[in-house]
Amino acid sequence: MADDALKIRSFSVNNVSFGKHYAFENGNLVIPETFQPDLPVGYDSIKLRIIKPHHLDVPTNSIMDIVPISAKVLGKIGTGLTHTLTGVYLLITGATTDGTQLHDFGSSDGVLKDQLKLGQAGTPGPDDFIIMFDVLLQPAFKYDRDFVTQLFDYSDQFIQPIRKILKMTNGRYATETHTFYNERHPGKPKVAVVKEVAGQGTMYDNLLFPKEPSGMAAGVSIIDLNNFPVLLTANEYRDGAIRAMV
Amino acid sequence: MGVGPSTKETTLHHFRDPLVDVFGADPDIDFQGVVVVGTPQDNTLKGLVGQRVAKWLQAMGTNGAVLSADGWGNSDVDFMNTMSEIGDLGISIIGLKFIGKQATFVVTNEYTPFVLDINKSKSGTETTVVGENNLDHRDANKALGFLKLKMRADHSKQ
Repeated sequence: MADDALKIRSFSVNNVSFGKHYAFENGNLVIPETFQPDLPVGYDSIKLRIIKPHHLDVPTNSIMDIVPISAKVLGKIGTGLTHTLTGVYLLITGATTDGTQLHDFGSSDGVLKDQLKLGQAGTPGPDDFIIMFDVLLQPAFKYDRDFVTQLFDYSDQFIQPIRKILKMTNGRYATETHTFYNERHPGKPKVAVVKEVAGQGTMYDNLLFPKEPSGMAAGVSIIDLNNFPVLLTANEYRDGAIRAMV
Repeated sequence: MGVGPSTKETTLHHFRDPLVDVFGADPDIDFQGVVVVGTPQDNTLKGLVGQRVAKWLQAMGTNGAVLSADGWGNSDVDFMNTMSEIGDLGISIIGLKFIGKQATFVVTNEYTPFVLDINKSKSGTETTVVGENNLDHRDANKALGFLKLKMRADHSKQ
């Protein structure tokens, strides 16, 4: 069952710095200092900030998502080969220029060290770098689903050049390699996990099956599926088949 | 908008999900996979999606399932409905969600005693600290153990 195997190679990042171009060599990740796509009406700017481990005493807008940086090298989500970076994660935050936060059911703005519990499954560890992707909007921006989805899309466009480099990175430089299988144990009790995810509307949304692990492009929204159930194999799940937009 | 910060599951959380880690690695169960279901705004749809999950598990021959929720509040109705739909078809079901002191059940039924609380904050509230009340490996292991006991108990009743 070769189709069943998913190999994830992780490359550890020891330093993140700003430079002219994207680069990844000997554990050093270089990202451009500015990210300036053609921003439509409603946006003010997108600001990038590198936060070093143990230097979390910085102000933050409401935390919208934390995203691992992974790239599909061979196969589709759930099979084949994936390369991922460890030691660095993207943190997406957002507010308007007059300080209104983009979450109304409890906003996590404040000082980053007080608003983030490190070392959880969904958060960076204490020794990890954080790339803060801070989206600033004009006070009168049009709050709807398309607008918010596009905002997350920009973060994906920012990551894509790193993915391109990761796809070409030689596997021999990987820090760790894990091979996962959708293991079955016939004769034992059959067990399933059911995950209820947000799908009520703007910023209560999740994408399934993006092209890149934990990506946005080509993903299908659970809202567009009318919130109907979808079955994922363990390996699809492990390979970033869900992108949160909550 | 957005679900409560301390319970929300980030994309990184899904990538490293403790439930998939723990359930996918246990040789004493035959792990079938993860059913992802949304939480519709509309009441008729709320009932329908829960029912579809239950029918699907029944067709898969599932003996036991764990239901877990991202966030709390509005989605609690969906949670209890889906849990009941699955349980009513004779499938052993346990739940995992944020309860604390803030999100206790408004209505209780025969399934509510089988919901484990993932709250970790001292205050038992939505603390707005991202990651604080997330489901972790301890919760996942506890859920697996609890589900095994539930399956055994339900089986001996039959």
